[in-house]
Amino acid sequence: MRANFDSLRSVARRGIVATLAYGLGASLSVSAMAAEPGEAKLPQLDIQTYPSQIFWLIIAFIVLYFLVSKIAVPRISEVLSEREERIADDLDKAETLSKEAEQVRAEYEKALAEARDKAHAATREAQEAAAKSGAELEAESHAKISGMLKDAESRIAAARAEAVGNVRSVARDVAGDAVSKLIGVQVAEAEIDKVIDATMEARS
Amino acid sequence: MASPVEQFKLKPLLPLEVGGLDLSYTTSALWMTITVIGVTAFLTLSMRGGRLVPGRWQSMAEMSYEFIAGMVRETVGNEGRQYFPLVLTLFLFILFGNLMGMIPYAYTFTSQIIVTFAMAFTIFVGVTILGLVKHGTHFFTLFFPSGTPIALAPVLIPIEVISYFVRPVSLSVRLFANMMAGHTMMKVFGGFVVALGIFGVAPMVLIVALTGFEIMVAVLQAYVFAMLTCMYLNDAINLH
Repeated sequence: MRANFDSLRSVARRGIVATLAYGLGASLSVSAMAAEPGEAKLPQLDIQTYPSQIFWLIIAFIVLYFLVSKIAVPRISEVLSEREERIADDLDKAETLSKEAEQVRAEYEKALAEARDKAHAATREAQEAAAKSGAELEAESHAKISGMLKDAESRIAAARAEAVGNVRSVARDVAGDAVSKLIGVQVAEAEIDKVIDATMEARS
Repeated sequence: MASPVEQFKLKPLLPLEVGGLDLSYTTSALWMTITVIGVTAFLTLSMRGGRLVPGRWQSMAEMSYEFIAGMVRETVGNEGRQYFPLVLTLFLFILFGNLMGMIPYAYTFTSQIIVTFAMAFTIFVGVTILGLVKHGTHFFTLFFPSGTPIALAPVLIPIEVISYFVRPVSLSVRLFANMMAGHTMMKVFGGFVVALGIFGVAPMVLIVALTGFEIMVAVLQAYVFAMLTCMYLNDAINLH
């Protein structure tokens, strides 16, 4: 507005200078005309016309003043203020709407973040559970397998002891029988056991 | 060939005499009437719809309104509000008078010194009374702004007083001389067009340019008149 006003003023200044120069030329030509013999002077200087002009000027101006101030100005200012109000209203509405939209967006983002957190938590839980059950299962099967191994080992040891025991009694019977058959001497079982023990010790 | 100032002669249309005074309705009065009708039509017919989104005519009426409202607000301030209709009327009256005077065969009442002087003098008197009523004797500080060295008083006060009392003259002569000079010039060159026959094309071209220039002067002088009125109002209301 300020700049607009200044530029208007500079235009006005330039215009005034131009019109002054221009008016000077025109008035020179006017005075040249007036110098001609028989020519009347300027009609504007004819005092006879003044009362009529002043009279009609007053009437015209007062009438126009009333028309402008009582009819035109209120009407225009009404339209202008109506428009201003309407624009302000629209701006207000736009602001509330944008605020609402902002709120909705914030809510949406919050919900989104919550959902993401929940999903993260669920994933972590599932992972943890899986890892735990895996470890348990492993430990269980480990324990089972080692139990089975132990069992098997003890069974093998028992079978072996039994087998060794059988061998001893067979060997004692066979050795006793063989000695009595060969030399007809009954050897005491304790004696045979001693020999068997010594033999088995030497063999093993 | 008729004198180029012949055009300013008034023709009585309806003779009227009151108490020995000739108050005839003349061409000048006729064009004042047309101006009043034109301004009223311009301001009211264009606003008849009062549309939210203005059309061309409505825009122009609103622009004139806002232009003068802005001028009053910026030069006089808030206290100038009540003088806004007056300044708007002055501006539009002079503007339409000047512009309608550009219509061929129309009469330009603003080319009459008595008309412009009557307006300027009324403004001068009105503004002076306003200043005196509002500020009393304090109004005379207008002639000697505070903060000026007292030694300058003998020089400054006469200058200020003279420039103050010369206001109605400068205000009225500015408008009158511009209008008269422009129309005289056009008439002179118009005479050349007729006198030169085929070579009259050259002044003819000049007249076309002059017409454009004159329309600018018409608007500009209305603006200057309204602007100076605002400044005088400001002096009276705010004392500089």
